[in-house]
Order: sequence, then structure tokens, then C-alpha cells
Amino acid sequence: MSVETGTESETGATTDPGSTHESPGDSSIGSLSDLDTAGLAYGAAGTGIFLAVWQAAAMAVGRTYLLPSPVEVATAFVVELTAPTTFTVPFAEVSIPATRLVANLLQSLLHYLPGLAVGSVLGISLGVAMGWSGRLDDALTPVTRFLRPIPPLAWIVFAIVWIGIGHGGAAFIVGIGAFWINFYNAYAGVEGVSTHLREVAETLGVDDDLTMIRKVILPAATPSIATGVRTSIGQCWMIVVAAELFGAPGVGFQIINAAQNLATDVSVAYMAVISLVFLVSDGAFRRVERRALAWRD
Amino acid sequence: MAGLSDSPGDGSNLDRNSKVVVDGVSKVYESERQRVEALSDVNFSVSDGEFVCLVGPSGCGKTTLFRTIAGLEVPTGGEIRLDGEPVTGPGTDRGMVFQEYGLFPWRTVRDNVAFGLEEQGVKEPERSRRVGEMLDLVGLGEFADAYPKELSGGMKQRVGIARALAVDPEILLADEPFGSVDAQTRDMLHEELLRIWAETGKTVLFVTHDVEEAVKLSDRVVVMAADPGRVREVVTVDIDRPRDRTDPAFGEYVDRVRSLIGE
Ligand SMILES: Nc1ncnc2c1ncn2[C@@H]1O[C@H](COP(=O)(O)OP(=O)(O)O)[C@@H](O)[C@H]1O
Ligand SMILES: [Mg+2]
Repeated sequence: MSVETGTESETGATTDPGSTHESPGDSSIGSLSDLDTAGLAYGAAGTGIFLAVWQAAAMAVGRTYLLPSPVEVATAFVVELTAPTTFTVPFAEVSIPATRLVANLLQSLLHYLPGLAVGSVLGISLGVAMGWSGRLDDALTPVTRFLRPIPPLAWIVFAIVWIGIGHGGAAFIVGIGAFWINFYNAYAGVEGVSTHLREVAETLGVDDDLTMIRKVILPAATPSIATGVRTSIGQCWMIVVAAELFGAPGVGFQIINAAQNLATDVSVAYMAVISLVFLVSDGAFRRVERRALAWRD
Repeated sequence: MAGLSDSPGDGSNLDRNSKVVVDGVSKVYESERQRVEALSDVNFSVSDGEFVCLVGPSGCGKTTLFRTIAGLEVPTGGEIRLDGEPVTGPGTDRGMVFQEYGLFPWRTVRDNVAFGLEEQGVKEPERSRRVGEMLDLVGLGEFADAYPKELSGGMKQRVGIARALAVDPEILLADEPFGSVDAQTRDMLHEELLRIWAETGKTVLFVTHDVEEAVKLSDRVVVMAADPGRVREVVTVDIDRPRDRTDPAFGEYVDRVRSLIGE
């Protein structure tokens, strides 16, 4: 595989333990247990020092709205996590009981998920098509080169005039971000598929483009495509926050809203929410990726 | 033993009714800077069920010829015929074994072997039966569910051979298939290949730069020369199998081929 997919040595740890034959991937199981002892101790120490410095700085400043302390942030987090409210399910016109944090998170997910899904599918599709077809590549490269540098948020103009700032408009911006990340990874993945494997497939009877794409190009490009999806899972949270600055409801909106009320501790609590959601979704995706791509070197 | 029977590398090697006929094949690679005559009027033929090795120094056009027979390159002159039909592209009548294995890393051993059968539309349970048969043939039954990354070079090449044979080709073509395995494994693979050849009765065209390997395996050795790539001579190896490297006749053939190559 010529495309570097940025996976760490830990991917080797999933090698089937039942296999009796030599398997180079097994060696990295050892590094995991090394990390358990020394690594975790250093990690705990680093975290402790960070929190202590933060707490000390906050106490020195002495004003929550200028710099909330970790304890104040944690308290605000718990309050948001437990304060009851209702969440109105879109299209269904029903309200369900929720807490403020959960309701805000659901609001964000309402544009994050559709934007991520639609943008990724379209980006991967165009990336594969252009990576496969030299003609299409030649035809569209000037356009993609020109459009690519435009930050997703700049397209807010069209979100406003076409859709309005709401879930639809925010999903549109998120989708544009997901589109480009996935487009480039899919494109590079397909371009990187070795000619050798394609020739092997030809000698084994593959004689049409669709079969070649389905049975050789896509599986070979999957690690690169997966990297694109994983990257966009993270990047799209950045875009969600940016889009919500313009007024779409959700976690990002709460960050601004709370700050405008000088409730900086609540702002930081919602910043932590984004981080936690990212860590959970990224971790979950990596697990799936590791399982599904266990064949990688 | 009868004398070494040689024949010159011109049209007299051509038996037009053979399984494989390489008829006046030339291949020129041209770029702005240079012009490489990789093959210049190459003629020889391989009979049904015959084991022929192609030897020659590096750069004499062995891989080019292999790829041309595979249908992956178009000759600039002449043509290749299989059972009288000109080659126009790749096809499953030729089972290809590559030096770099060319296994699909995302497919298990079993699924690599099944690839060509899927393309031929062979349905289950026939497909699994055939895959199992091929894995038994190369002795890899226990590794059916392993991924290529978990295999040694020798094992990878066994998968390559099983995959090539699964679609039941007329001809098995191999380009330095054992070039990257250690000597001991190579000897074992030679025995296996000869056994498979005897069991299946396939026509085999085997490219190598290892003269001993060629004398060990083949009925005839096509000796090539470089600049431009051409056939220098075709040597018929008249020793009964199994062949013993320490047999004086074996050594004579090796020396004969070496002197033709100019080693
Ligand atoms: N795709 C190519 N483009 C240009 N020159 C090539 C190409 N493939 C092979 N050659 C040249 O053709 C000659 C024969 O190469 P090759 O068939 O690989 O020889 P061998 O396999 O006997 O070592 C060499 O001089 C090589 O550089
Ligand atoms: Mg070669």
C-alpha cells in the first residue's frame, strides 16, 4: 500500500491470537503493556500538573468570568448535565424530556451527522471517480483546485440565502468540510493503488471498470478512505462550532451564548463536551477501523 | 547420454502447431530520450505439457516477453499465439505467477485463491471445493484464513501458484517466482512445482536468471541475450527426473548454458 494512512503500531495488536504461525504484528502487543506502567504514570502526572497550574492561575486571577477554575468548570458541567429541559424532535413535533447538555448535544448532532454523512459520501464518490478516470481528473482538477482553499465557513453566504441559518444551513457548512477531506483522501487512495494489483486482477479475468473498482480499487483504497472519514469526524466538530456562531442551535451556540452572559465556566464546560464527544467518536471509529482493516501490514 | 542437443535461436525453433508460439516478437520502448530494443525478433514455441525455462542476464527482455505473452504489453512486431489464436490481452487461459507475488492484501489466502473463480462465475459450493483442492495442492490448507502479511515469502508464492492454477489455465507462466525466497525453500518449491506440473499436465513457461534452476526444472531452456533482447539458443535438457545437481551431466548442461550467456 503506497498511501501512508497514519496508523500507529498499535494496529498490529488485533492480529488473531489463535493463529499459530509467525506474525510480525504480534510484537506491538508488548508495547501496549509497557505503556500501561510508565506511560500511564507520566500521563497522570502531566494531567495533575496541568490541572494544578490551571487552578492556581484561576485563583490568582480571582474572577470566574476571566478564567474559571477546573473545579468551577466541573461544577458547571454537572449542572448542565443534570438541569432538566425538553428537546423538541424535529418534524415529529413532540417534546421529550432531556437535560440542557443532552439537548444541546442533540441539537448539534442534528446538523453534524447529516452534514458529515452526506459530505463524506459525496466526497468519497467524487474522489474515487476522479482518481479512477484520468479524463474526469483533467476536466475537474482546475475547479477542485480553485474551490478547495475556500474555508467551509465562507459558504455560509449560500447557507443564509438558500436555506437559512438553522440545522439545514449548518449541515450544509459541515457537509462542505466533510466533502473536501474525504475527497482528497479517496482521490489519493485510488491514485495510490498499484498498477501491479490491477494487472493481476486483469490476468484473473477482471475485464470491466466496475468490477475493477469494486474488487480491487475500493478495497485497496479503503485505508486511505477510512483516514479521510476519521479526520472529518474530528474536523467537522470544529466546523459545527463555527457554524453555530452564526446562530444555529447546539453546543457551539452555548459556548458563545454563555460567554456573552459572562458565564465563562459554562462556556468551558461546553468546550469540554466537544472534546469528550470527539474522543469517544474517534476512539469508536478507530476500533472499527482496526477490526475492519486487520489485513494491513 | 546423447550429446547436448542445441538448436539456433532463429525461426527453426518454431513449430506452428505448438501450444505457445512466439512468432517474430519485437518490443521497442521509446521515450524522448532513448529507444530500448527490449526484444528483437524472438522466435520459439512451447509444446502442450512441456516445461520450458527462459534464462538470460538481467535486462535481456525476459520480463518484457513474459508480460507480452500475458497480454499486458503489446508487441511492436510479430505476435504470440496460443493454440493458434493471437494474444490480444490478458486472459484466464494463462495463469500468471509474479515475482512480487501480487497477492491482494485485504483478502485471506482462501479468498485470494477464489478471486479468479469468482470472476468466472463459479458458484458455491463448487468454488470452495476448488479452492480447497488448490490449497491442498500447494500444502497451505491450514493457512486458508491467514492474510498475506502473515505469510513468509515461500508461502506467499504458493498462494500465487494456487491462485493462478485455480482457474484451470492451459498454461502456467511464472516470472522469477522464487527469486526472493531463500535457497532451501527454493529447492522445496522446485520439487513442489515439478509435482504439480506432473499432476496437472499444464504447459509451463518459467522465467529465471538462475541457470541451475532452469536446468533442474525444464525440458528445454531458451537462452536469451541482451542488447537487443533475443534468443541465443534453445537447449534441450535430456536428463531423467528427478534430477540431481551433483550428476556430471547436470553440471555439463549448467556449464553449457552459462557459456552461452557468457557467464
Ligand atoms: N516500461 C518500460 N519502459 C522502458 N524500458 C523498459 C520498460 N520495461 C523494460 N524496459 C527495458 O527493456 C529491457 C528489458 O527489460 P526486462 O524485460 O525487464 O528484462 P529482464 O526481465 O530480462 O531483466 C531493459 O533494458 C529495460 O530497461
Ligand atoms: Mg525481469
